[in-house]
Amino acid sequence: MLKRRLVGVITVKKGWAVQSFGFVRHLPLGRPEVIAQNLDRWGADEILVLCIDRTLADAGPDIDLVRRIGRMGLSTPVTYGGGLRSVDDGMAVIQAGAERVCIDAMLWREPMVVRALSARIGAQALIGALPVSRSGQTIAAYDYLSRTERPITTQTRALFAQQVISEALIIDWQHEGHARGFDTDLVRRWPLPGVPLIAFGGISEPEQLEELFCMEGVVAAGVGNFLAYREHAIQNLKERVRVPSVRPAEYECKP
Amino acid sequence: MKITVGIVDYGVGNHASVRHTFRELGMRCRTSDDPATLDDCDLLVLPGVGAFRPAIEALRARSLDVYLVECASRGMPLLGICLGMQLLADSSHENGVTRGLGLVGGEVMQLPAPRWHIGWNTIEVVRPDPLFASANGHAFFFNHSFAYREPNSHAVCQCVAGGPFVAAVRRDNVVGVQFHPEKSQSAGRALLRELARGLVSA
Repeated sequence: MLKRRLVGVITVKKGWAVQSFGFVRHLPLGRPEVIAQNLDRWGADEILVLCIDRTLADAGPDIDLVRRIGRMGLSTPVTYGGGLRSVDDGMAVIQAGAERVCIDAMLWREPMVVRALSARIGAQALIGALPVSRSGQTIAAYDYLSRTERPITTQTRALFAQQVISEALIIDWQHEGHARGFDTDLVRRWPLPGVPLIAFGGISEPEQLEELFCMEGVVAAGVGNFLAYREHAIQNLKERVRVPSVRPAEYECKP
Repeated sequence: MKITVGIVDYGVGNHASVRHTFRELGMRCRTSDDPATLDDCDLLVLPGVGAFRPAIEALRARSLDVYLVECASRGMPLLGICLGMQLLADSSHENGVTRGLGLVGGEVMQLPAPRWHIGWNTIEVVRPDPLFASANGHAFFFNHSFAYREPNSHAVCQCVAGGPFVAAVRRDNVVGVQFHPEKSQSAGRALLRELARGLVSA
């Protein structure tokens, strides 16, 4: 049985892991490598590193960070997002040690580059991140560069519908960092049926995870801030999520 | 006996997790594209990420394709991981037909809808093999859109996602796994220990 994944999300700003609240307020946590090591030790199903200032600064992906995490030899798959502008950027991230890459602004700025990147690394290695919010009966995408909301563009929809990208990371940006904040209507109103979804933003409780994992289309859920408040946070969550499709909590038992 | 693992370095992907896992298991690791260095190892590991054609071309550019076939024929244990497993096949249909190493027969085909297989999935042993016995029913991390298909009986484990497909293959001293044991935490470490010990002592 293919399992639902509990993804540990590390938000990185200016090279430091931070707690993020609603895309506007950030509090430092420490070195991203240390957080990644904890998530690996606690048995996260996947680690997602999101460098939130790289695209805004046109700085490209933080290859040094990916390389540092890659060299640690973690036994958990790693996805990197932030600053990707080109096929070469995506290739560099994979070569540096990430299993998958996550793109955001490229979705609407450079859809042809997205297609070229998918052709090189495969759609399975490509996640599209969309900060979203409810807009009446539909969903609006949030452009964090211009701080404006807009409908999901036709070109972006096509990238998902044509399976150029394997999964959509839908971020409840308004409730990000707020306990029990994730708005499940974002999943219900997601306009592209059949696109596997990773829900993220304001997911803190096992009950939320249970609800999400029982929703059609949800293959994974990302948890960020709420993993930073206690030791063994992943195992604690997994033990309380009563869904058979979740991989059981794993405790480190190295040789 | 301390096992020495030779990681075949053909310029594709990052080998840190593979190296780290074997070292955690108490084994020595050498990462090299030099046949003389690899010859001194007890087990060769062929990792890989990305597309089939550039990977096999990278092997050929270093004459490692001929070397690996020769190693397999003289009984040296060889383990292919993910794309490394696919390279063991006769051919792949990824971006046209490309010839593989031809060590386990079969061909590599695009997965049916949804065209990829991502995440942790349980594997089932379909042909009894002591190397895989302890892995039966455990979940491992997969990330691929092409999969091995074979008309013969080299499949050892299968996995179901949409339909069934081969998750592991073995032909004597040559083993391939479609998943990433080095990214599969304790289940992956346990399997790699079994595979290394079992193949080297066979």
